[in-house]
Amino acid sequence: MDRQTTNVLLIEDNPGDADLVRLRLVEGTSPVSVNCVSRLSDGLASLTRETPSVVLLDLNLPDSRGAETFRRVMEHAPNVPVVVLSGQDDEVLAMKALHQGVQDYLVKGDISSKHLERAIRYAVERQGLARALEIAQKQQIDFKNQFLSHVSHELRTPLTCIHQYVSLMLDGLAGPLAPEQTDHLKTIFKSVNQLHAMIRDLLEATRAESGKMRIEPRCVALGELVQQAVAMLRPTADEKKIGLEIGIDQRLPLVHADPDRVLEVLINLIDNAIKFTPAEGSVMVQASMVDADPGFVYLSVSDTGRGIGPEAKALIFERLYQDPDSVDNNRSGLGLGLFICREIVRLHEGRIWVSSELGQGSTFTFTLPVYSLAKLLAPVVSYDGRLRPAFVLVKIELSPLSNPPRGNWKETWQQCAEIVRHCVYLDKDLVLPPMGASGTTETLFVLASTDLQRAGIMSTRIREQLERVENLKTKCGVSITTRPVEFRHENPPGTLEQQVQSVADCVTTMILASRERKQLSVIKGD
Amino acid sequence: MPRPKILVVDDDPDLVRALRLRLRANNYEVTTASDGYTAIAQAQKERPALIILDLGLPVGDGFVVLDRLQTSDTLSGVPVIVLSARDPQTNEERALKAGAAAFFQKPADNEELMNVIRVSLGPDATALPAHTAAWPS
Repeated sequence: MDRQTTNVLLIEDNPGDADLVRLRLVEGTSPVSVNCVSRLSDGLASLTRETPSVVLLDLNLPDSRGAETFRRVMEHAPNVPVVVLSGQDDEVLAMKALHQGVQDYLVKGDISSKHLERAIRYAVERQGLARALEIAQKQQIDFKNQFLSHVSHELRTPLTCIHQYVSLMLDGLAGPLAPEQTDHLKTIFKSVNQLHAMIRDLLEATRAESGKMRIEPRCVALGELVQQAVAMLRPTADEKKIGLEIGIDQRLPLVHADPDRVLEVLINLIDNAIKFTPAEGSVMVQASMVDADPGFVYLSVSDTGRGIGPEAKALIFERLYQDPDSVDNNRSGLGLGLFICREIVRLHEGRIWVSSELGQGSTFTFTLPVYSLAKLLAPVVSYDGRLRPAFVLVKIELSPLSNPPRGNWKETWQQCAEIVRHCVYLDKDLVLPPMGASGTTETLFVLASTDLQRAGIMSTRIREQLERVENLKTKCGVSITTRPVEFRHENPPGTLEQQVQSVADCVTTMILASRERKQLSVIKGD
Repeated sequence: MPRPKILVVDDDPDLVRALRLRLRANNYEVTTASDGYTAIAQAQKERPALIILDLGLPVGDGFVVLDRLQTSDTLSGVPVIVLSARDPQTNEERALKAGAAAFFQKPADNEELMNVIRVSLGPDATALPAHTAAWPS
């Protein structure tokens, strides 16, 4: 028999019951040390200081009652076994406690020392086993994830070799090819790319599962991203003779999201929609606001495909799920795409779901949090409980001189953003988070609580400071423009909060308009 | 006008051969190394205009090579493009901070890779069109 001292934390407010339990403990054959407290808060404090072998817990204490009591103890010290001391009349509650992870329960007044000793010993044993199982499971998952990550890395080396040689031949760098040979090589190349996508998905899914997936949220205009995703998949849709349409709400706010990741989700959903839609069908990508849920923008991809049955609907976002009915698609991938989408959306604190009826097409919808400009602006646009008199929006565009940019572009624009932050007044100006997609023009907006003349001085200062950066001229062009914020003055003016909101709305509109102009000029420039 | 010289560092000889073919077809001269130590020696000897560098290398991995290049008086200005099978999430930022000009995960899109090489070499190093090549330097 184990002669080690058992440290018991007894949480019991009734002095009579506490004495009785203590007596029964001391009567036992193994050495016991008892620490008795009468309030849950004292018990939790003791658990913070030291880890007992077991907690004996009365559920009805002065500062906590019922199920709440054991839940809080287990939350506080998940690795310490808990034995509940219940009254004659609350065995139902005690059973509930057992189902939720409490190791045992004893009915007060019915406790012998032998009984108590055995309950404690078994509780400690069981908790130890549960803990060992948990550790083993975690190790197994870690091992699996490590293995998958290793495998996907190792697979890349031979894949790269195949990729290189096939493309050498396709590019005519290894001599002329007969048309049939070109055809075969193109088939190989397509398969190589599929394999590449699978390896990427495998690594992404592994990352998601082990909590290592990261997002870098920024201030994003969704219209641009939707256009970009649709432009990328237009050729695939055209090839299948599928119409690909866009519907974007005119008054869409900015969202707080990682543009690269959102693009990934959109591409995945649109690609799936095209895949499951027969020729002459159509796919619609929409971005809109829903009155009942003003904190989020809703993005949806609808198709006129054959729809999804209720069983598939329940499982479709799970890892490795393959639609059993998609016999026509002999190479549909690993079944990780939607799982990855769900994880990306979840990291943005959005939701993703599908609505569909068999034969009626499907609509996949996900939400992204609105970028609350008003909340960000509030501290700088008001002073002494009143709105400041005038605002100017300063736009600083940093365009790389080459495509792709030279050197470390991210470092370059981050350095510029830092300089801009040093050129403004912290209490009344605000540098908004940079806007842009990776590797292209970055735009910094500054909302300055000032008039146009002073804003001009500010932009001169910014330009001078930026020009001091070594080599910046060889890396990027800088363009700075200022525009007054002509927000709507209500009469009467309304609460400060409403006034801040109208400034924020106006700024949002200006930002979106300037982004649209840029897009137009890019399209016209082509 | 001499063709710009590129040092390709990778321990997979098959990949090196394919890259050499492609780079030559794009009018670059190619020199190679298959480990970290040789990479530095070769860079010092050959003075390449650009280096394509794998990360997982025998005898001093890619990061060691990057570090040595950055601390060298004569080589710190040579643009380095990392081409590795490793995960960009854990390696890209690190490589760029260590002085790399770009990070590509294998398998890389060749067109993009050639684009970045062209841009990294800058206007002075690219092969000039015929009518400007005749101008006195």
